[in-house]
Amino acid sequence: MAAIISAAGLAFVAPPALPQGQPVTPPHAAHPKATPESIAAGKDIFAGTCAVCHGIDGSGGNGPNIRGAGAAMGPEGVYGRIRGGIIGTGMPAFTSLDDATVWKLVDYAMTLGHEDAGVATGDSKKGKEIYDASKCGTCHAVGAEGGNLGPDLSHIGVQRSIVTLTKTLNDPGNSLPLDAGLQERATFTAYVVYRAVTKDGKVIEGTRVNEDSFTIQLRDANGNLHSIQKFEMKSIDPEPGKSFMPSYKDKLTAAQINDLVAYLSSLGEAQ
Amino acid sequence: MNVSKYFLCGVAVAALVLGSRLESAAQNVNYDEILHSASHPENWITYGGNYAAQRFSELKQINKTNVNQLKLRWVYQLRRTGIFESSPIVVDGMMYVTEPPTTVTALDVRTGRPVWRWTADLPKDLLTIGLFPTNRGVAILGDTVYVATIDAHLVALDAKTGNMRWNVEIGDNKQAVAITQASMAINGKIVVGMGGGEGGLRGYIDAYDAKDGKRLWRLYTIPTTGEPGVETWGGDSYKYGGATTWNTGAYDPELNTLYWGTGNPAPDWNGDARKGDNLYSCSLLAIDADTGKMKWYFQFSPHETHDWDASEPPILFDATINGKKRKIVAQANRNAFYYVLDRETGEFITGKAYAKQTWAKGLDAKGRPIQMPNIEPTTQGNLIYPSITGSVNWTSSSYSPLTGFFYVDTREQGAYYYKGRPTIQPHNPNDTGGGGGQKLVNGDAAYTAVRALEATTGDRKWEFRMVGDSWTGTLATAGGLVFCADSQGNFFALDDETGKPLWNIQLGNSARANPITYAVDGKQYVVGEAGNAVSVFSLP
Repeated sequence: MAAIISAAGLAFVAPPALPQGQPVTPPHAAHPKATPESIAAGKDIFAGTCAVCHGIDGSGGNGPNIRGAGAAMGPEGVYGRIRGGIIGTGMPAFTSLDDATVWKLVDYAMTLGHEDAGVATGDSKKGKEIYDASKCGTCHAVGAEGGNLGPDLSHIGVQRSIVTLTKTLNDPGNSLPLDAGLQERATFTAYVVYRAVTKDGKVIEGTRVNEDSFTIQLRDANGNLHSIQKFEMKSIDPEPGKSFMPSYKDKLTAAQINDLVAYLSSLGEAQ
Repeated sequence: MNVSKYFLCGVAVAALVLGSRLESAAQNVNYDEILHSASHPENWITYGGNYAAQRFSELKQINKTNVNQLKLRWVYQLRRTGIFESSPIVVDGMMYVTEPPTTVTALDVRTGRPVWRWTADLPKDLLTIGLFPTNRGVAILGDTVYVATIDAHLVALDAKTGNMRWNVEIGDNKQAVAITQASMAINGKIVVGMGGGEGGLRGYIDAYDAKDGKRLWRLYTIPTTGEPGVETWGGDSYKYGGATTWNTGAYDPELNTLYWGTGNPAPDWNGDARKGDNLYSCSLLAIDADTGKMKWYFQFSPHETHDWDASEPPILFDATINGKKRKIVAQANRNAFYYVLDRETGEFITGKAYAKQTWAKGLDAKGRPIQMPNIEPTTQGNLIYPSITGSVNWTSSSYSPLTGFFYVDTREQGAYYYKGRPTIQPHNPNDTGGGGGQKLVNGDAAYTAVRALEATTGDRKWEFRMVGDSWTGTLATAGGLVFCADSQGNFFALDDETGKPLWNIQLGNSARANPITYAVDGKQYVVGEAGNAVSVFSLP
C-alpha cells in the first residue's frame, strides 16, 4: 500500500488564507514603464521584503506560491495587493513603501511565472480559426467560454513563451504546466494522467483533479469523474509523458502551428 | 521502558472519568488539577494536553475496534476567518478556541454553540514580520482564561463570561514583537514567549503573576555585553539576533523546570554578520520556573542559516535506558534530527535523523551536528534537505506511554537556499529580515508522513504517508489510536502500533490545527479542525 501512496504527488486544496475582502487601493502614481533596471531593483527589494513568505522566486515558502499571479491580476492588481494586503491572511499592507518602490516590486512580480514571449511569426487571425476548427475550446477556456479539462488559456500569452507554446502543441505530455495557485507551499505538475487498476483488474485512466491521503478523483478523456478510494485499488500510478491533449505535430503543418501559437500568444494582458 | 507514576497515574483511573460533571457550571481549574490532568481526561486542560506536552489522552471509549463508527456531532464555523491554528482547551463543559488574529470564543461542548466571544483591540498598523497573524490557543488557571494577543499583550478573561480582567503589554508591537502561541499556566504564574525574530529583536520569555499580570521574571535568549555567550555573535548582531520563543513549551513540576525551544538567529539565510554559534538560538532552554534563570541549554543547530527554529514543542517522559532510569525531554527538531536528552542535566543521550537531511554527517557524542561542507545558502541557490519549513514545524508531536512511541508528522522536501544581504533592518515593516530566501523543490516528489519513532532511540517503527503538506501534529490516545490530518482536509485515525488507517473523513479544507479529545456526559469526542471550522466526532 505504501507504494501506492508514494506514487501520489502533492495535490490540490487551495490555501486557507483566502481573501476576506479587498481593501481600497489608495490613489497612487501611475505605473512607470518597466525596465530591466526597475525589474532588477524590484528583485532586490523582493528578496528582503517578500521572499521570507513567498520564496526567493515567488514559488512559495511560508506563504503561497505567487508565480503567475501577475498575469491574472495585472500590474494595478499587484500594486493593490502590496499596498492593501489581504485582510485575514498573513499578507500585510505595505503602507510605508513609496510608490516608486512598490512599482519596482510590481515590475519584478510581473516577471514571476512569466516567460519572455519572443516574437510570433504566424498569423494570429488564422490561428484563431485553427483553434476553433481543432475544437481546442472543448478542453480549454478563454475567458468565460470553453471547457475545463485542460488549463485555462485566458492569459497564456503572458504566461508562456513562443518556444513553450510550440513545444506544448508538439509534445504536450512532456510540457505539462506547473500549478501556480492550488498548492500551498510548492509548485507541482498539473494535469498528470494517472492509471488506476482495481483489484479485479479494471483500468481507469484520468487526469488528477484532487488527491488526499485516502481518495483520488480522476477525470477521464471524456470528462467523466472517477471517484476512487485509494486503499481499495490494486495500484495507482502516474504516467509520465502522457497527456490527454493530442500532439498536433502530425495534425497541423508547421505553418499552422505557428499561426496557432501567434493566436495563443495574443491572449492575456501584455506587460 | 519504565514510565513514572507521575505521567502514568491516570491510566488506573481512566475508566472512572468518562462521566461528566453534569452542567457546565464552573469553569475553574486549580493548579492541582492541571498537575494531575491525566486523572481528568474529560478535560483537555493545557495546550499540550498535560505539562509534559505529550498530547496523549487516557480516554479509550473510542478505540481501534470502534473508531470506524465515528459520527459528526457538531460543527462550529469561525466568525473571524483567516489562518486557523488553534488547539482548543476544554474544561467542564466549555471549549475555548481562538479565532484569527486574536478572538477567544467559548463554546458549549455539547452543541458547539458560542457562549461568549472576546476580540482583542488591535492596532491598525499591526506589525507581523515573517509570521501569520493567528493564535494557537489559550491557557486556563482558576476561573481565568489567558490569551496572548498578536500585538503582544497578555490578557486575562473571566472564564465564565469573557469579561476582561487585566491586560498587560509583553512587548512593543511597533518593535515587531508579535505572539501567536498559547501561554502556559503553572502555579500562580502565566509563562509566555514571543515571536517576530525577523523584525530585528532579541528574544525573551516571561512569567506573569496570574492574579494581576505583574511581570515576575524575564529571561533573554541572547546574552548581552558582559554575559557569557555574547562572544558567539559578531559585532552588535546579538542586539537583533532573534532567537525568539514563539511556541509553547513543556513543564516538569517535580523539577520545577520549564522547557522552551528558541527560534532561528537573524537574519535567517546569511550568517556573515553573526559569526559563531549564536547562543542561545535554535536551542532548548531549561528554565527555573521560580526565578527565570537558565539551568541548562542544548543547542541543536549552531550558527543556523536555514530557518530551522528549535521551537517544536518538546515532550517529557520517563524511561529506563541502558538499565538506568532517566527523566527525558525529547524533540523531533525542524533540522530533521530526533533528540533524546536528560531533562535534569541537559545531557545528550541519543539522537538520529528521522527524515531526509543533507546537511550533517551525524551527531557527535555530545549531540552537536557534524556538518557537511558547503551547506550554506549561496547567491545561486544551494539544494539542502530539509526545506525552510523543516522536517516538522510548529505543530505538536505526541507520545504514548502505552506504546513508548513518539508520533511526528514529518515532511520530506528539500529547498534551494539563497543568500542575500547580511544585515537586518530592525523593526522595518518593509523588510522581513531574511537575508536571502529559498525555493522549494518541485512538490511532485515531496510528501508528508506520520512516523512512529521508538521514543528512547528514534528508531522508526512505522509510517503512514500523506498527500500534500501536514500542519496538524498528532494526538495519541489510550484507545490505541493516533489522530492526524493532512493539508488536503483528511482527518484520520491510525492504529498506534502499526500505523494502519482505521477511519478518515474529508473536512473540506486544509487542516492546520492540532487535534484534541475530551469527554462529556459519558461520551468521548475527538476534535478536528480544517479551514475555518471546528468539527467534533463521537461514537453513535
